[in-house]
Amino acid sequence: MRTVKPLLRGMFIPGMLFLGACCCEKDVVVAPEPPPASVELGDIFFDYDKSELRAEATQQLQKNFDWMKQNPAGTLVIEGHCDERGTNEYNMALGERRANAAKDYMVNVGAEAARMQTVSYGEERPFALGHDEASWAQNRRAHFVGQGGAAPAAAPAK
Amino acid sequence: MITCSEKSWTSRYVVAALMLLWCFFLSPLTLHAAGQGEYIAIRKQGAGKISIVLDRSTAKGGKDSEWAQQIDKTVKDGLVFSNLFSILPPPSNVRSAGDGKGGASVNFGALNSVGAEVYAGGSVAKKGGKVNLDMEVYDTFGTKLLLKKSYSGKENQIRSLAHAFCADLIELLTGKKSYFGSKIVFVSGKSGLKEIYQCDFDGEGLQQVTNLRSISLSPVLSPDGSYLAYTSYSSGRPTLYIRSMSDSKVSSVSKSGVSVDPSWRNGAEVATTLSFEGDQEIYLVRPDGGIARRLTNSRGIDVSPTFSPDGRQMAFVSARNGLPQIFILDVQSGLTKRLTFSGRYNTQPSWSPSGDKIAYTTWEKSGEINIFVINADGSGLKRLTGGARENESPSWSPDGSMIVFTSNRQGGKKLYVMSSNGENQRRLLQMDGDQMQPSWSLFR
Repeated sequence: MRTVKPLLRGMFIPGMLFLGACCCEKDVVVAPEPPPASVELGDIFFDYDKSELRAEATQQLQKNFDWMKQNPAGTLVIEGHCDERGTNEYNMALGERRANAAKDYMVNVGAEAARMQTVSYGEERPFALGHDEASWAQNRRAHFVGQGGAAPAAAPAK
Repeated sequence: MITCSEKSWTSRYVVAALMLLWCFFLSPLTLHAAGQGEYIAIRKQGAGKISIVLDRSTAKGGKDSEWAQQIDKTVKDGLVFSNLFSILPPPSNVRSAGDGKGGASVNFGALNSVGAEVYAGGSVAKKGGKVNLDMEVYDTFGTKLLLKKSYSGKENQIRSLAHAFCADLIELLTGKKSYFGSKIVFVSGKSGLKEIYQCDFDGEGLQQVTNLRSISLSPVLSPDGSYLAYTSYSSGRPTLYIRSMSDSKVSSVSKSGVSVDPSWRNGAEVATTLSFEGDQEIYLVRPDGGIARRLTNSRGIDVSPTFSPDGRQMAFVSARNGLPQIFILDVQSGLTKRLTFSGRYNTQPSWSPSGDKIAYTTWEKSGEINIFVINADGSGLKRLTGGARENESPSWSPDGSMIVFTSNRQGGKKLYVMSSNGENQRRLLQMDGDQMQPSWSLFR
């Protein structure tokens, strides 16, 4: 018995290390799949009192269309927003026109209309809370919310 | 926090409505009709404020005196609110002799010496378990009795008693029905969470109407007060709801797209902007939520309808020429003409109950938003606010004498009232958060 005790003692630390390595194995050994060059959804911005798309907006909309292609089960909610200036009721209508302008462009380049929904928030949900042009420019936007994307392993884009 | 359940709110509403009816129909009415027309004829329009001595109501002590004090204060506040009177303190010897009853006891000499044109005084007593107010009104120059009337009600109806007298007095002296039973509905909250509230014409009696924990906007009561139309995001997108005030039943428009800014037409239909056919157009909707018909047909935003009292004409905002301007549509013929040519951004039209004027807001080059009024034929443009930041959402009192609106002149958006000529602008309501989109009821 005297010889067994030190032996067991000597094996304790390597044993624990071994057990620990066994437990970690799954996480450590299985490398994550290389993420597919996933496309992020992005918002587009508008000029004052306008719902016409700017040139750089169409580039972003193309990327958003790519997201739809990559996430064939994904759907989009396109929110139309306005800055705080002007009057609430008019901006509610303007926000819808912005969301629709974005949706119409995507449909024209080949996106399925049935996978996109629009909602206007007018000036009810501003992103930037300041009262200056920098904030206003941020708030004149169409905001894209992806839902049910990520058919494979990739996390849903936010 | 002011919260109250939908049920208790409607039951209170019903009680208030019954009470009003009762005040007007059951109390013995002894209006000295001969005096009315004559007095108005003598006082010409625009003769300035009416000098009135409002005497303290007499009472026999105890509870009666408490009631008398409450009534006197409510009557005085009501008359001050109207901005029609200059209220003079009663001369000490105003009731010269006698027991305080009958015309003989009023000292007209004393009243004339302080420049009073009208004297109003009365007594308060408990009669048959109810509060009874006997009021007399005299023309002090002719020493003529203009009004003698009794008002009675339960103890919790004292405010309505006093307001019933105010309404009678103003109708007697101006020939116009007043607004003492009217309500103002409005939106209060912060961005992302807005509920609908209502208060009395003077900001008292604040009550929460919706508790949807969503964004609820643009409330407007039907002319008789039986329905409330509003837009809410409670289903995820802005939808028109029409709620029966008696049983809280709600109908909605089940169409895709937005619904923006409803308005009643003749109490039978609601006009609102819908976009289910693609472009944003104004439609008439029945109280059950069914679409009656489409009113506008032009590319671009058409929004914010408001109707002439006969319902034949609709003023609205259209961006058909670029920036928003106000147009008038003849509902029958479909002919549309542009109303506003001054100002680059004109929105939020509100047609006056008398039918001759339209109030609206202009976003001016200075950055201010101001309220203007214009005749329905396009003449007589007049600015009502100025030099006080953003002033929005005008809505007329049912008698057309006042306008409620939103202003951020002191920081946050709050409710204000002014006379319809822009005078006497003042805060209506002390309440936390932002308040917006007030709409004054047509009933009163």
